Amino acid sequence: MAEEILRAEHISKRFGGVIALDAVSLSIHKGETCCLVGENGSGKSTMIKIISGVYTPDEGDIYINGHHYKRLTPIEAIREGIQVIYQDFSLFPNLTVAENIAINEQLASGKQSVNWKEIYEIAKEGLAKINVSLPLDAVVETLPTADRQLIAIIKALLAKARIIIMDEPTTALTQREVQALFRVINELKEQGLSILFVSHKLNEVVEIADRTVIFRNGQKVLDQEARGLDIGTMAFCMTGRKLDTSAIVFSEVEEAAAPLLRVENLTLAHGFFDVSFELKPKEVLGITGLLGSGRTELALSLFGVLPADSGRIYIEGNEAKIRSISDAARYGVGYVPEDRVREGLFLEQPIGDNVIVTLIDRLVTKLRLLNSKAKKEEADRWIKQLEVKTPSGELPAKSLSGGNQQRVVLAKWVARSPKILILNGPTVGVDVGSKAEIHELIRNLAGQGMGILLISDDIPELIQTCHRILLMRAGRIVKEFQREEITEQALNAELVASATTNAP
Amino acid sequence: MTIRDTSDKATNSVSGRVLSRIRAHSDTLQLFGVLVVLFIFFSVTEDKFLTTRSITSMGFQLPELGVLSLAMMITILTGGIDLSVNATSNMAAVLAGLFMVKFIPKEAGEAQIVLYLGGALLVALLVGWISGTFNGLLIGYVGVPPILATLATMTLYTGISVGLTGGTTVTGFPKQLSVIGAQTLGGIPIPFIVFVALTILTHIFIYHTAFGFKARMLGSNPTASDFSGVNNRSVLLKVYMFSGVLSAVTGILIMGRTMSAAYEYGTTTYVLLAILISVLANIIPGFGRILDVFIAVLILQVLSTGFHMFLAGVRGSSFFKDFAWGVLLILIFIANYFIRGRRYQG
Amino acid sequence: MLNRIVKTREFIVFLILVALSVIVGLINPAFFSISTVFDTLRAAIVYFIMAFGVLPIIISGGIDISFVAIAAVTSFSTHMLLLKLGYEGGTLLYYLIACTMGLLAGLLNGFLVTRFNLPVFNVSLAAFTMWYGFNLFFIGATANFDLPAGTVGYYARFIITARDPFVGKTGLHVSIVYVVLIGLFIWWMLKYTTIGRGIYAMGGNREVAIRSGFNVPFITLVTFAIMGVLSAVAGVTQAFLSRYFNPVIFIGQPLDVLAAIILGGASITGGRGSVIGTALGVLLIQVINRALILTGIPVQWQRLVVGIILIVFTSIPALQERRARRIGHTTEAA
Repeated sequence: MAEEILRAEHISKRFGGVIALDAVSLSIHKGETCCLVGENGSGKSTMIKIISGVYTPDEGDIYINGHHYKRLTPIEAIREGIQVIYQDFSLFPNLTVAENIAINEQLASGKQSVNWKEIYEIAKEGLAKINVSLPLDAVVETLPTADRQLIAIIKALLAKARIIIMDEPTTALTQREVQALFRVINELKEQGLSILFVSHKLNEVVEIADRTVIFRNGQKVLDQEARGLDIGTMAFCMTGRKLDTSAIVFSEVEEAAAPLLRVENLTLAHGFFDVSFELKPKEVLGITGLLGSGRTELALSLFGVLPADSGRIYIEGNEAKIRSISDAARYGVGYVPEDRVREGLFLEQPIGDNVIVTLIDRLVTKLRLLNSKAKKEEADRWIKQLEVKTPSGELPAKSLSGGNQQRVVLAKWVARSPKILILNGPTVGVDVGSKAEIHELIRNLAGQGMGILLISDDIPELIQTCHRILLMRAGRIVKEFQREEITEQALNAELVASATTNAP
Repeated sequence: MTIRDTSDKATNSVSGRVLSRIRAHSDTLQLFGVLVVLFIFFSVTEDKFLTTRSITSMGFQLPELGVLSLAMMITILTGGIDLSVNATSNMAAVLAGLFMVKFIPKEAGEAQIVLYLGGALLVALLVGWISGTFNGLLIGYVGVPPILATLATMTLYTGISVGLTGGTTVTGFPKQLSVIGAQTLGGIPIPFIVFVALTILTHIFIYHTAFGFKARMLGSNPTASDFSGVNNRSVLLKVYMFSGVLSAVTGILIMGRTMSAAYEYGTTTYVLLAILISVLANIIPGFGRILDVFIAVLILQVLSTGFHMFLAGVRGSSFFKDFAWGVLLILIFIANYFIRGRRYQG
Repeated sequence: MLNRIVKTREFIVFLILVALSVIVGLINPAFFSISTVFDTLRAAIVYFIMAFGVLPIIISGGIDISFVAIAAVTSFSTHMLLLKLGYEGGTLLYYLIACTMGLLAGLLNGFLVTRFNLPVFNVSLAAFTMWYGFNLFFIGATANFDLPAGTVGYYARFIITARDPFVGKTGLHVSIVYVVLIGLFIWWMLKYTTIGRGIYAMGGNREVAIRSGFNVPFITLVTFAIMGVLSAVAGVTQAFLSRYFNPVIFIGQPLDVLAAIILGGASITGGRGSVIGTALGVLLIQVINRALILTGIPVQWQRLVVGIILIVFTSIPALQERRARRIGHTTEAA
């Protein structure tokens, strides 16, 4: 095995009463791609922050390039060649590519004047390192996410990185861009750099990893050569259980009933094409596909954010013209967004007000003034019903944990008793325990008669909640799985197939 | 995928709840404290301060800025700003004034004049409503950032006033108009009654109607309010309409006090003072108490009147208040920094 | 390269400036006279200086309105001080004293912003009312026309003079040289110094600027120092050009200056803006003002026309952005 560059030994870290890492060891060798896999809350992020010096571990030792550290500072980590590429890339959107690439060098040199020729030379040198070409004069905010990521990688390289840590680097990339990123990663590897690739997308891990490390609940549960490791095993290690749906009680879909929602030939330019499907009462219909497959656009279209260009939508048999969110709400469509903080919550406002915002027009007295008693009752009722754990509905929403925040967003729409509820990635960023509870909640809601569209690429989630699953690829529905056909292997196989055939 | 800041959990405890309650009212208490201290200070040092006469005169002076501040604060509450408030009040006054001058017949009787006066007031309110609507359309529907949109309409509305009057002052109004600006009801100046009524009305609008609820949510997070089915555009439109109508009321009050209308009343400082009051009352997008605005207006007036007496006989004494306002504002910022930690963000 | 220049906001403003000049010139040929050029520039001088001074603050993401008050307090108190001392010399001492005061006033703002983590706008609002109040109460409430002997002729000191068929002898005031020097300095500072790049970096992403190692508090102080000094220069220059010192000079104009900067392509939220754009923005407003006179639009309607132009100018980018957002949905912000 190649030379070991970094070894973190028996690292423990606690936050208050929560154990984030429990005597975990991790080592990274020269020229390898190590994939660190785990669900949200498994301790991945904590580990990244410890080996980049952001957090100090409560116990344990860190060895980098043979140097021993009891407490590592960020500066020391950088000096040892550890570079983290966070999801926001730490770029200046208003500056050019060249300047973004060269800015650290400029600052490090301590020079008070700027030599633009030098900036461009540094930038060119950086681009050459990973063999890509980018317009040096272009302003970063005009570039696609993938290019911004390349800039962040180049910045890391110019900072003399020996280990590059990528935190969920593919989250906002299309499949084609993911492939391009993988080419770059392989190139870096050949140059002798080490990559710590942090992800929870198993299909990508299969493709890129030399070695796979899996964390679960703050412990390391697997650390082995990637060769021969299949998705099923990894999924088992991640969740700690075989996906067993036999104990799950799915609601009985009313097959004979008229469909709640019928979509015919719905098309949105640059989004999705000729999409048709039906949703029955009490049914949870999964829509899956990779990023860029059109799944989010479809959801936003049904919710009136991106009205479709052509095609028809029928709700309870009547054609519905959904051109705006207010239209969608009027037809009884609710939407729980994936980006909870940006699109779902009023973080500073009271939890109760977050819940009743969708029904505020109904909570008025005869004089059209707000009925504060009804307001409080309604808020408390839904907080209780969806089991939001809070001492008071008057606290700001930001005081809640991720799982409870998600319940608030759900409550907001459930309170309106919608006919159709669209959930986009309902458990992204939610810890494992809350995840199972939210899944149960989803099944219960369907049992009450709602039709639920669940947009997700989390395979266990789909298996545990859906009656049927539609697979989207390049804007079209390409496959439909019935309940009995839904297995982890089958879904994974199809998603991976999408990954390789999706690139146009 | 981040470890959540565990310190947030502190607010989950019961003591945290009590603390947040106190915190919610601490601004009001603090402002009220400042008001009381200033009031006592001037009452002790100035014989003429605590007299019916001086209190009444304050009651006549502060409503103009007060109502304008209400117009300003509701827009700040939604994450915007309305720089055109003063231009709107002057335009409303000018048009109402021209209406009176042009249409009231020379030989009109008392009843007829009152009728025309009512018409003039309607004209003013209508002008305020239209200009607010225009602001709201630019901001809500065209998507111009509020600071730019209202900067442009400030120029436009002033331009209309200048154009219609040729830059002159409109005068010659029937004396009955002065009821609004210079008379009292049960010893209380009528403008002050108007101000109190509008303060209560604004409070009801913002805190006790669905519209106000949506406006505050929109101020907190416009994307989330959009995704919650709130029609952001229409809420913004109504907020600026409301702001425009309140501005028009200010125009009426100024007209009633000065018995004239011109494009330039208050132009140099009223807008900035209205913003200053919102800053003093700690109005931020999504949060703000109308009562705090009311107290902030009183503080400015007490300072103004107090210093005016304090420095009576000193040349240019009325200008000392401007200086004092600035200093006071800075002191309050610094005090807030130490009381609340680093809550302000640049 | 040319393609990129053509797409910039600066170029669009430049085109509008040219188009407007041609139209006005066709309506009234007097517009193309040398005296119009000189007069327009003369009227623009102080606005150039103030706009250049506040531009770095805007780029760094702050909004300031106190610069007009600093212009007033520094120029007026310098004058009253020197008047008391019986000073009869030239303009240089005026500039030196006023600039020192301006530096201190700017640094006071900067100190409050950085030390107490206050919003730039709130501090500037306080400074605005404080300095005008200070001027009027402590220094004097009426304009003063007693200029020292050494400065009296300054208002008509020209670098070039020309004979104009309409008005006779006319000249370009010497202080346009300062404008050019100041503009060059700010341009150089923004483009070729680490501090300048830090100003853009702060406006683009303040958090990342701090994380990357820019000394953000120091850069903030520098922007305020520049604002203070240049406001003082503008205040004194305006007084000499108009031959009197006014305690409330520019009091109604901070938003006009900001409007010119934004017309010139600066972003109100920071990160974007240039010296050349700012200069064009200031010039555009001056040309509009002059054009309104020369095209025979009655004086009283001029402000209305400016208002309409401003609305059009702010609406077009907003509409473009709205459309871009609609089309850009496929980049999937999910």
